[in-house]
Amino acid sequence: MKALTILKTALGLAPGCKKVNEFLAEYVDGELDDKTRMQFEDHIGLCGCCNHYLDQYKTTISMTKETMEVNVPSQLAEHTLTFLRKNADFSGS
Amino acid sequence: MEPTKEKESEQTARQLPDSEVATTTAEGAEGAIDLEALLAGDEKAFEQLVIQESPRLFRVIVRILGDDDEAESILQETYLQAYQRMHTFRKESKLTTWLYAIGINLARASLRKSRRLSSLEDQEVEKMQPDFNRGMFVETPGAWDPSKITELSDRQQLVRRGIEQLPEDYRTIVVLRDIEEYSTDEVAQMLDISSGAVRVRLHRARGALRKLLDPHFRRQPAE
Repeated sequence: MKALTILKTALGLAPGCKKVNEFLAEYVDGELDDKTRMQFEDHIGLCGCCNHYLDQYKTTISMTKETMEVNVPSQLAEHTLTFLRKNADFSGS
Repeated sequence: MEPTKEKESEQTARQLPDSEVATTTAEGAEGAIDLEALLAGDEKAFEQLVIQESPRLFRVIVRILGDDDEAESILQETYLQAYQRMHTFRKESKLTTWLYAIGINLARASLRKSRRLSSLEDQEVEKMQPDFNRGMFVETPGAWDPSKITELSDRQQLVRRGIEQLPEDYRTIVVLRDIEEYSTDEVAQMLDISSGAVRVRLHRARGALRKLLDPHFRRQPAE
């Protein structure tokens, strides 16, 4: 990290790695306000550790999204409606 | 399994404003359903709800339970309870949020009953987060090798196994937030916890998954 960023972090004027990590979910999910987001991006742009971690964090999320495919049974809703007709005061159509 | 984390600190440590406010009217996916008819006990409207929401609700329940047959049974029980309790829906959330909360609660109860519990405890998830000293990383995270990520044939199985290892409340949040892409506030309503607690557990779950995947994707040091 550049000396100025280190100094700012030490003085509490810029977020350190711990603070950046604490709000990583909000950052990745686009839930940070503009000012905080820019401070975080300043830090991440200069910090190799946070850069690596952020990259892996995002990769983990994208791999999570692509996994756990589920095959939905074709008669799922019909089975449920049949169940309701049997077990509740439900006639349906 | 009851969450053991400090709910209070989860709620107070995060002061970010909620970006979404709970809706008071039916909208979104259930927009085509006549909510008033549904609340008045109209069976046709309820049938439409079953047809419209069954696939997505089934996917959520399967991902929590990991068992297709049990998930279908839970889905049916969810709609039965929803039909019988429709008069208790107060429009304080989306109708689907209310419906999914019933399904998720039933799925979690089924997990506890069958004792199909995760292999990681809450405390272990906590230990899998990075360590910091004076606000900086104690250990530099090793870079991942992109070719390992793309080439690993059992990558999906690896990730799936990682998700299944997470404690049930963390896994449920990953499923709802990262896979089904519900908003933080919707997930909070479904699970009846604060938005801050959702954010904290989601972050810890992602960190734990990253840690589990790290040895498989780490770049080998140059000889």
